[in-house]
Amino acid sequence: MSYYFAIVGTQDNPLFEHEFGTSKQGGDGMSRFNEAARHMNQFILHSSLDIVEEVQWGTGHMYLRHVDKFFNNFISCYITAGNTKFLLLHQPMTPNSAAAASSRASTSIAANPTSPQTEEAVRNFFVEVYENWVKTIMNPFYRVNMEVRSPVFRQRVAAAGRKYL
Amino acid sequence: MTRLSSPEGQILLAEGTPLARSEITLPYRRSAPSAASLYASTLSPPGSRSQSPIGRPASRIASGSVFGGFASNAHALVDGVGDSPGDPLNLILKAFVPHVAVYTSEDTDLLLREKGFELGLWEILRPFGDRVAGKVIIRDSNGLSRTYEDYSVHFVRYGEGIEHPEPMNSNIKSPTQSEKVADASEKDTGSQRNRRRGGNGADVEAVVERHLTYAEESFGISPQLMDPKQGLDTETPSPYYSLYLRRLLSGLPLVPHETFAHPVACVIAISSRNPSPIETLRRLYNDTSAGEKRLPSWVDSEYLRYYVLVHDEEKDDITKSMSLFEQMKRNLGLHCHLLRIRGTQSAATDDDSIPLSTSEWMSAAEELANLRKHDSQEDFEDPTRYIYESDATAIRTFIREMVTQSIIPTMERHVSVWNDQVASKRKGVTGRIMGLTRRWGFGTTSKSSSGGPGSSNYDSLGFYRQDAPEAIMRKLADYCFMLRDWKLACSTYDILRSDFHGDKAWKYHAAANEMAALSLLIMPQTLSSKTRAETIDTMFDAAFYSYLTRCTAPYGAIRCLILGLELLRLRGGSSVDEAAKWGIRLLESRIAGPIGDALIKERLAVCYASKKSMGTHAWGARRRKSAMWSTLGAETWLTQAKYIQAQRCLNEARKMYGDLPNDQGIDHFAEASAFMLEIGRQLNQHLQSNDQGENSTDDEASEPVDEESEVMNERGRRISTLGLPGATAATLEAAPLRSQTTDEDDDVDSGKPNDDFG
Repeated sequence: MSYYFAIVGTQDNPLFEHEFGTSKQGGDGMSRFNEAARHMNQFILHSSLDIVEEVQWGTGHMYLRHVDKFFNNFISCYITAGNTKFLLLHQPMTPNSAAAASSRASTSIAANPTSPQTEEAVRNFFVEVYENWVKTIMNPFYRVNMEVRSPVFRQRVAAAGRKYL
Repeated sequence: MTRLSSPEGQILLAEGTPLARSEITLPYRRSAPSAASLYASTLSPPGSRSQSPIGRPASRIASGSVFGGFASNAHALVDGVGDSPGDPLNLILKAFVPHVAVYTSEDTDLLLREKGFELGLWEILRPFGDRVAGKVIIRDSNGLSRTYEDYSVHFVRYGEGIEHPEPMNSNIKSPTQSEKVADASEKDTGSQRNRRRGGNGADVEAVVERHLTYAEESFGISPQLMDPKQGLDTETPSPYYSLYLRRLLSGLPLVPHETFAHPVACVIAISSRNPSPIETLRRLYNDTSAGEKRLPSWVDSEYLRYYVLVHDEEKDDITKSMSLFEQMKRNLGLHCHLLRIRGTQSAATDDDSIPLSTSEWMSAAEELANLRKHDSQEDFEDPTRYIYESDATAIRTFIREMVTQSIIPTMERHVSVWNDQVASKRKGVTGRIMGLTRRWGFGTTSKSSSGGPGSSNYDSLGFYRQDAPEAIMRKLADYCFMLRDWKLACSTYDILRSDFHGDKAWKYHAAANEMAALSLLIMPQTLSSKTRAETIDTMFDAAFYSYLTRCTAPYGAIRCLILGLELLRLRGGSSVDEAAKWGIRLLESRIAGPIGDALIKERLAVCYASKKSMGTHAWGARRRKSAMWSTLGAETWLTQAKYIQAQRCLNEARKMYGDLPNDQGIDHFAEASAFMLEIGRQLNQHLQSNDQGENSTDDEASEPVDEESEVMNERGRRISTLGLPGATAATLEAAPLRSQTTDEDDDVDSGKPNDDFG
């Protein structure tokens, strides 16, 4: 239901952060994270870098799929050629809200974070973001590990989120 | 702010401070130092306690690098593994040991009461059972002998702590079989708890909570806790965690589904004052085998009876006792002992008196009762007992003789007999077919089937009678476990798993799964990740599910997962992730109370920290995860007003984040680092107000706080300087604040090409 997307540089420094919700199945594209536990997203994402660093050597693909899980949060990762990590934290509906929205098809990607459809959707999202990312960092003034604050890039990420997730 | 000072001049907090909560309102008139003895298990590092009468060798104190550097994930279970008393593996080995029931005549109770032991012989024997003096040699099922230095037995009072499988009359009386069948037609819908024994998670929580509160009250901040350099100790667990574990495992209740607490032997004791000794012994024997006081029918009644004559050295004639002892030996066989002790109470001032520690394996309920009693007492009396050196030696010799000459050989014999007669039938091809046919009702193996043909031994009763093959096999497996013959134990549990599953005996099923997994993990062999996933995971899964969902036995579920976590953690490598998985599962189920919750979080941090990394970049380590769990632990402690623990966790988290290859830790993540700062700020506030409230006499205590707040400021400043947190320039700016990190930064800057890929 809610997504937290972060691009993490080589020094574990976030280069870009974006929160959004699902736009499929009538979602409004707004994230529904618990305000009191908002910091947890960052802790979880940061801690899953441990797993990413291990998993990246076991596969030849840039898309590492779903790498980690913390209670009800699922983390997918895409690692770029420059060792920048795209991390997507995916929090499915909480059980009580799920009961209210159970009429929605349980096949929705928001409800099944580990299903192949979700993995495919996340891959598409990552690939599109990666394309835009490469274009953005081609900027001659960009140095490695510098935060990206381009509003255009943010728009494009949001668009990719709307399109696929 | 109201304060009361004790005679020693130590100032204790009362109402008015943030620490004072409902239970602290009672006046503290006791003297703090003597109260400390009640909390000794967590105040000092467990290894440095010297009150034990057992006389630990020095090697037990040095924890050493016991688990350091093993190549495979099979930790060799040599003697001495887990030498430190708080070590989880050590705790597991010491928790599942033979239980010896103590049943005494009235005159013996009287003698011991005169000696100052209200609860009789059991009370004086118990601390000595924690460690059997000298070496114990055990032969396993293959005839190989192994020597153990650290064997122990638990003494329990006869007939105590019985948990019946179904609602029955509250007395222990076991009706005859036909009545029982009628009575027990219902399955275990609920079990009545005997509060005197363990097996109760809430009591465990309460005990640890008391210890923590005491620590908060008595030290504001102790310097070593505030030392930020102290890393996360992966070798020795925190004293509170060890206490939690120990109380969880102590006082195992006498239940049908596992036989660890069933007596392996029963000490039947009379004293030299008894006018009709042999008759009394007979009467006591009869009590244990028939009549009112008999143990329920699911307890094997063929346990060893060990006859003890307690001789009072001061009042009675030794020659008379000797002749009586000879007579006992003639009449009752060789399982006899003459225990010579002095009949008077020993005081601390006596020349040859030594303090008698309380048993390490006192059950949670018991310790709680002790602490409460002490709270309600106006003037505190020192709980430490003293006994004469000579008595201690006599008891030590007695226990050693009993264990090595009677208990162990009897158990070995039982194991080989049961293995030949019962278990071997079920192994091999024919055994499996037998198992199947029995299930379909063609078999003749079910001896005591009291229901119709084809019913299992379990269906009608809600438990297995002592002579059912399943009950005997379970006993065989438990005996093997207690004798540390993991292989046979494991294979037997494995057979039982499927049997119990077929009979839908869910509690038995859960317990068998739990022990199968534990014995498989203790066994010194390398486990491939495949077997681990296939066998151990399924076992824990089944055990956890059966305990929690099918039987509503949260105690079993907690015990099973915590022990699983510990044993998996010790295996290192990828098992650590598995261990953490079960820990998280436990947190997710929310069956542990608030204290347990915080302790598990803390433990998860240790668990992740103990994963070894490879190469220069520390790949494969779980430092970020460890740091995150430390932070979560700090948060949980903070909400429970356990500031010392919270501070310790926070320090660990900071250190762990600081040790990351990129020196910034999580600082770049704005909300997360703000969260950490907030925890730190709240802690400082509480600790400082606490500190000022204490009218601090020692400067040591106040200093670290200042230091700490300085660190905080530093961090705060660093964040503010990072106006452009993404820029490398900012990293450099921040670097000089910490001396150790400059080198690493230089490394980065000197343009090692690999770094950008690290």
